[in-house]
Amino acid sequence: MAWVKRYRLEIVMVLPLVLYILGFSLVPVLETIRLSFVNASTNTYDLSNYVYIMSQQGFKKAFSNTIVITIVGLALQLSVALSIALLLKRAFKGRGFFRTVMLIPMGVPTIVAGVIMLYVFSTNGYFNLFLQRFNIIEAPIIWNEGGFKTLFMIIFADMWKVLPIVILLLLSGLESISEDVYEASAIDGATTWQNFWYITLPLLKPAITMALILRAIDAFRIFELPLVLAGRHTPVIGTYAYSEYRDFFNEHTSAAAATILLLMIIVFIIIYFLFVERKKDV
Amino acid sequence: MKTRQTDLWGAISRYGTFPFLILFSFVMLAPVYIMFKISVSEPQDILTQNPPFLIENFTFDHWVRVFEAGNLWAPLLKSFMVASVATLIAIAIAAPAAYVISLMPKAYRYGIILSLLFTRMFPDVGIALPISVNFIRWDLTDSYVGLILAHLIPNLPFLAWILVGTFETIPRELEKAALIDGASRWGALQRVVFPIAAPGIAVGAMFVWLNSWNEFTYALYLTYTENTLPLQTYYYVSRGDWFQSAAYSMILTIPVIIVTFFLQRYMKSGFLSGSVKG
Repeated sequence: MAWVKRYRLEIVMVLPLVLYILGFSLVPVLETIRLSFVNASTNTYDLSNYVYIMSQQGFKKAFSNTIVITIVGLALQLSVALSIALLLKRAFKGRGFFRTVMLIPMGVPTIVAGVIMLYVFSTNGYFNLFLQRFNIIEAPIIWNEGGFKTLFMIIFADMWKVLPIVILLLLSGLESISEDVYEASAIDGATTWQNFWYITLPLLKPAITMALILRAIDAFRIFELPLVLAGRHTPVIGTYAYSEYRDFFNEHTSAAAATILLLMIIVFIIIYFLFVERKKDV
Repeated sequence: MKTRQTDLWGAISRYGTFPFLILFSFVMLAPVYIMFKISVSEPQDILTQNPPFLIENFTFDHWVRVFEAGNLWAPLLKSFMVASVATLIAIAIAAPAAYVISLMPKAYRYGIILSLLFTRMFPDVGIALPISVNFIRWDLTDSYVGLILAHLIPNLPFLAWILVGTFETIPRELEKAALIDGASRWGALQRVVFPIAAPGIAVGAMFVWLNSWNEFTYALYLTYTENTLPLQTYYYVSRGDWFQSAAYSMILTIPVIIVTFFLQRYMKSGFLSGSVKG
C-alpha cells in the first residue's frame, strides 16, 4: 500500500474527525432509523411505531405545527430581515450603531430567548400591555392556550433570535452587488421598486437560497423555544420525540418521530432544488 | 420619452429609514431589557395587571437568593468545564483534519465540506436518542465525559468547516520553504502553519465554546440530576419561578455577551452559516 505510506501523516490527521462523525452522527442516525422499525413487543421489524404515532392526536398536531412554524416563520424572517438589511445598506450617519443593535439577539442563548419571550407573551405581559395601550385589543390575549396564537408566539420568538444571522447573510449578499448596475438603471429612470424587483432580488438569490435552506433546516428541528414557551400543549416534532422518550419511555416511537423529521428535511431540500432552483436558473 | 413614474417606495425608504430602524432597534432591545428588569424588580411590579416598563423598585434580592441558595455553582462549573474541555478537544481533532482537507484538490474539498454540512441537517433529537440509550448503558449520563462527547457532535463539523477556510488562506510556499530548510513535515506544521492559523483557530474555538455553553438539547437528553446552566435555567422556568429564572438567564447570558463582543467583527455570513442556531 504505497498510497497509505505516502499519505500516512495526512491519514492520521484526518482519521479522528472522520471516525468521530461516523461514530457519533452517522451511526446514531442509522440506529435511530433502525429503532423506529423495531416492534417493541415482538422485537421484529415492522411499521407498528409509525402506525401508532400517526394515530396519535399529539403527533398530528406536532406535524402540522412544525410545518406552519417553518413556512410562516421563514416567510416572516426573510421579509423582515431583507427590509432591515436594505435599510442598513444605505449609507447614513449612525449606521454602525444600528448594525450593532440589530446583532444583539445573537448574544442571547436560545433557552434565554425562550425565557424572555415567556415574560413578553404572558397574559399580563408586555406585549398585551403594548397592544392595550395602543387600543389594538381590549382584553389581554392568552398566548399560550394553544392554536395559532401559540404558534405565532413561537414564530416570533424564533424570529427575534435568528434575525441577526439572516440579516448578516442578506447584508453580505447585498454588499456583493456592484453599484454599477444601479447606476445603469438610474440612467434608465428605474423606480426604487423596479430596482428592487428586477435587480436586487435576482442578484440576491444566492444569499436568499443560503439563508432559506439553513433556516429551514433549523426551523424543522426547532426544540428549545417550543419546549419552554408551549410545553406539551403545542408540540412540534422535536419536542414530541423528546416527550415520547423521556415522559413515556418509548424509544421506538421517539425514533419514528425523529426519522419522519429527517425525512421532512430531506424532502424539503429535494423539492427546493428540483423546483425553485431549476425553474429560475433557466 | 418615458413618463416619470411615481416613486412611492423610494420615498418610503428615504424618509422611513430612521423611524423604521428605531422601531426595529426597540424590538431587538426591549426583550433583553425586560429580562434585566425582571431580575432586579420587586414582585409587585411584575406580577400585576399593568407591569410598568421602567424599573420602579430596584432590588438585588433575586440575585442574592440565587447566589445564596447554592444551586448555582455546580451547574456553572459543569457548563464551564464541559465547554472548555470540549473546545480543546475540538481544536485537537478538527485543526489537523481541516489542514489536510485544505490541501486537497478543489473537487474533493468541496465534497467533504458539503458532507460536513450534511451532518448538520440531521435532527438533534434523532442523534441524541441513540446516544442517550447507549450512554445509559455505559454509565455516561450525568457525567462530564458524556456531555463533552455529545457537545462535540455539532461542533466538530462546524469547527472543521471554519478552519478549512482558515488554512486555505495560508500560502503553501511558507511551508515548502521550511521543508527545504530541513524541517520535518510535522515540524513545519508546528512551527510555520499552525502559528499562522492561530488567530483563525482562536476565533473558531470561541464559537465552539459559546455553542457548548449554550447547548441545551443534548444536555437535556443526557442529564438526570446534575444540570448544566441552561438546564438549571429551564428548571426554574418549568417551576414557574420568574425571578430566579430571570437571574439565571442573566448569568447564562453575561459570558455570551462578553465572548460575542470579541467575536463581533468576525461575524460574517460564511462563518455563521454553520452554526445558525448559535
